[in-house]
Amino acid sequence: MENSTRIQEQQIIKDLLPQKFGKRGMTWTVILLLICLIGGYAYYRQLRDGLVVTAMRDYVSWGIYISNFVFFVAISLVGSLITAIFRLSNVKWSTPLTRIAEIIAVSAIVMASLIIIVDMGRPERFYNLFLHGRIQSPIMWDVIVIATYFCISILLLYFPLLPDLKILIKNKDKSGPGLNKLYRFQGSFWKGTKEQFRISNKSINILCILIIPVAFSIHTVTSWLFATTYRPGWDSTNFGAYFISGAFLVGAGSVVVAMYIFRRYYHLEKYITELHFEKMGRIVVLLALLYLYFNVNEYLVPAFKMKKPEEAHLVELFTGEFSVMFWFAIMVGMIIPIIILLFKKGRKPLPMFIAGAMIVVGAWFKRYLIVTPTLLHPFLPMQDVPLSYQHYFPSWEEWAIAMGSLAAALLIITFFARVYPIIPIEETIMEQNKQNEKDEA
Amino acid sequence: MKHNNSLFIFLLISMSFSLQSVRAQEKTSPGKTIVSLRYYNANNSVQYLVLQSQLKKEGQITPISGKKYDIFLDKSDPANLIAKVTTDKNGKANAFIPPTMKSAWDATSQHIFMVYEGGEEIISDYTISKAKMSIDTSTVDSIHSISASVQKWEDGKWIPAAGVEMKLGIKRLGGVLPAGDEESYTTDSSGNVTAELKKLNMPGDSKGNYILVAQVEDNDLFGNILAEKVVPWGTTLQPDKSFFNKRTLWSTGIQAPFWLLFMAFGIIVSVWSTMIYLIFQIVKIKKNGLQESA
Amino acid sequence: MSCNCNKNENSNSRRDFLATGLLATLAAAGCSTGNNPFEPEDKVKLTGEKVKLLSVNGEVIEIDRAYLKPVPDLPQLSNREERRGISGKKFVMVIDLSRCKNLKKCQSACNHMHQIHPGQNWIKVLSMEDNENTSKYWQPTTCMHCDEPPCVKVCPVDATFKRQDGLVLIDSDRCIGCRFCMAACPYSTRVFNWEENTQLEPEVAAQHYSCETSIPQKKGTVGKCDFCPDMTRQGELPHCVSACPNGVFFFGDMNEDSVSNGAETFRFSDLIKDKAGYRLMEDLGTKPSVYYLPPVARNFPYENGLETQEAADKLNNTK
Repeated sequence: MENSTRIQEQQIIKDLLPQKFGKRGMTWTVILLLICLIGGYAYYRQLRDGLVVTAMRDYVSWGIYISNFVFFVAISLVGSLITAIFRLSNVKWSTPLTRIAEIIAVSAIVMASLIIIVDMGRPERFYNLFLHGRIQSPIMWDVIVIATYFCISILLLYFPLLPDLKILIKNKDKSGPGLNKLYRFQGSFWKGTKEQFRISNKSINILCILIIPVAFSIHTVTSWLFATTYRPGWDSTNFGAYFISGAFLVGAGSVVVAMYIFRRYYHLEKYITELHFEKMGRIVVLLALLYLYFNVNEYLVPAFKMKKPEEAHLVELFTGEFSVMFWFAIMVGMIIPIIILLFKKGRKPLPMFIAGAMIVVGAWFKRYLIVTPTLLHPFLPMQDVPLSYQHYFPSWEEWAIAMGSLAAALLIITFFARVYPIIPIEETIMEQNKQNEKDEA
Repeated sequence: MKHNNSLFIFLLISMSFSLQSVRAQEKTSPGKTIVSLRYYNANNSVQYLVLQSQLKKEGQITPISGKKYDIFLDKSDPANLIAKVTTDKNGKANAFIPPTMKSAWDATSQHIFMVYEGGEEIISDYTISKAKMSIDTSTVDSIHSISASVQKWEDGKWIPAAGVEMKLGIKRLGGVLPAGDEESYTTDSSGNVTAELKKLNMPGDSKGNYILVAQVEDNDLFGNILAEKVVPWGTTLQPDKSFFNKRTLWSTGIQAPFWLLFMAFGIIVSVWSTMIYLIFQIVKIKKNGLQESA
Repeated sequence: MSCNCNKNENSNSRRDFLATGLLATLAAAGCSTGNNPFEPEDKVKLTGEKVKLLSVNGEVIEIDRAYLKPVPDLPQLSNREERRGISGKKFVMVIDLSRCKNLKKCQSACNHMHQIHPGQNWIKVLSMEDNENTSKYWQPTTCMHCDEPPCVKVCPVDATFKRQDGLVLIDSDRCIGCRFCMAACPYSTRVFNWEENTQLEPEVAAQHYSCETSIPQKKGTVGKCDFCPDMTRQGELPHCVSACPNGVFFFGDMNEDSVSNGAETFRFSDLIKDKAGYRLMEDLGTKPSVYYLPPVARNFPYENGLETQEAADKLNNTK
């Protein structure tokens, strides 16, 4: 009996320890680094010449940097969903997914902060936010909640990592001296005593409770960057709930994509099983239906009234310049995934991966549609300005920086998976033991 | 035939070249310099001249700065030099008549001001006659009236100046608010003009005073004359402070509304104190671990 | 030029004009305007040096040398003073739409005097048509200097602020270039300096930025109409007001209840009542400081402005 549990334990540890990069891993990392470097060069050009290198002008003064920012903040909400809400509701099958969700959340929130600095006209004056900050400004609220959420997410990564650090330190032959030093620095004091577990579990519980309102406020406050203005398309009381439901959807979609990739390339089929995909599939369908509901509220209700400033904006979304993108985002981002996931066959790993990818891509375009079309419909006509001010298509620098930020987010996740086990080892072992005890009884 | 054709073509080409050079000349025409001189007499004491130099080019008028001019009184010899001036960035320059020219000034009732640039004569016929203007008020049956009287110096004595057009009213930012309904008032044969104050209850300063003004602008004979008088006919100033220095959403950060300060800092303090507590829990875990190993 | 009769005047100037008996009457009124028709002495930067001049009556008067300049130097304002503004004033502008012919002289004067980036305009003269049945008209649009400014509400670093004289100004030394104010402004009046202005002269580009002159505009910050507070401090009207040949712009102080376009001066409350003045987007609750007089009894038909617009559009479409 004891032997079999220990062997099982050894097997779990062997499977879940971080693996070195194979050829595919190296290629993936190198490509991402290249994209980041091109983005870095584009940013250098922007620092040198000013924001004129972008295609943003006086009317479309916010472009894909801001829509990328909203996209990242939206994805970062997944941490609170999977980790916090599932933990608090004792959802046992979510254990393998918690760390994936947390690292997606952390990397997304880091990139959100960086991309907002990229968008600033005077990034060197960032300290003015702390020296001369105005608490009345929604940007100030955003800075505060993002910083808070980042710290909470790091803590929520750290606490559950402590038991795994012990295992990592013990298996130093697999990790090498450099990483071993890192593990020791971070968690050599963890001995696995009852007292330590008690404190750790209590802290994790507190964090889970704390992160939920903070996560809600992070995306509500980001939505208020738009909802506190008068513009058609933004002047909506619906925005907080609309953004949060969208954030949950895109976060869940990104977790599904990550689940599939890690499962396939790290051979984790025993841990991320088809059951997980089945359960996640149901949750994603529910979230997609919820988001669709909010979209109906957001677009159909003003369309019923067709107030003058909103009319031009809505017509352009439904049938005009942005109609292709709009219907693409709706179909690919919501409707087709719903259809795929409503069927049991659709909730198998591969179809779910496709649906998840569609959700994420659709969500990116949806964020673009929230930011740019409104700015092209100001209250007063666009006159007495150069022709370039009346349209917007991002310049190559903007694309490079946006892609660079996405690549950097993926890089953070990749490096994390290289250094730490992407599925919590200790918790998996404990789950396995509990399962064995149940089976024996 | 062939010769005729080539000659024709040659003529065509040379004509087009000369046309182009004419057009080029038109494009780079230097523009016209406009210099103006104005005489001001304020409250029968301070008098001064304002010189303005402008460039008119392709329909646009821009000021010329840094240009030097000499202003003379009656004659263009050094003894009669009023001042050497240089125009500022707006193309304007001020000049006062120096006390040394007292005898020349008192000698005649009319004077000619001349402007020279280097040795070149720019203005030579700006003639001003001495005049004085007084402003007076009267109140009958609580109806206020303003009257102005213009006199000119002729043959050694002051005589009334008739037909002088002026603005009569209350001094405001950027101009003179007419006292009555007419935009301007003209002196009669006795050199007087009266206007009834129809603009009642105009705001004054914090004591309820405002300044009455009689202003003659660019008169052919007398130049610009100004006379002012302070009267206590205004209502006291009640500045509208409803939008400034209060706790509002648009004040500086320190003056945020209380409800916002409560909510924001309340949330921040409660969340961050919990996080600091959790960091202490990590320390506790560390202590416990070190204890166990010891 | 306002009389500071409530303040304790500079004792020097009192001595000065008491010395000249003629002005004793004005001295009795306790006002310093008698001797000095220029800006009051407490508003300019005095050199301390006196200049003697001949009066109309042949008397000798003394006046500070500062007034030899047509525009006497003003004392350098601190950032704090620039943020407070001129006390006792509440600036207001009235734009008479029945007089506007789309000459865009206001635009070129403003662009020139503030050294704005070529191609950008702080004043836009818009061709407006409220609906298909109403007539078209030309509407010059400046910053509204709202009393409840949405732009000031959202600025995270206090780079744009509302002063006690009603003006909303921008501190280009503090602006971080987040452009939230541009998104928040419903009148789309703010412009952004996307690049370095290479057409600025080096001395201008190197000088210290003043919130009141808004010069020099800096790369990566926001700019907008400022109602020319440097001009109004000297008792002059803003550049657009003086530049308009048709007298479209009226500018003044609501506390004085008067607006002027340089040639004509009207009582503000009467003007708005008689000509049914209104404000743009009143229902948004921004409380703008710019009133418009409706385009009735037009001085020029709308079509007169089309030529200038074609020329301007041609220039813009090449960018």
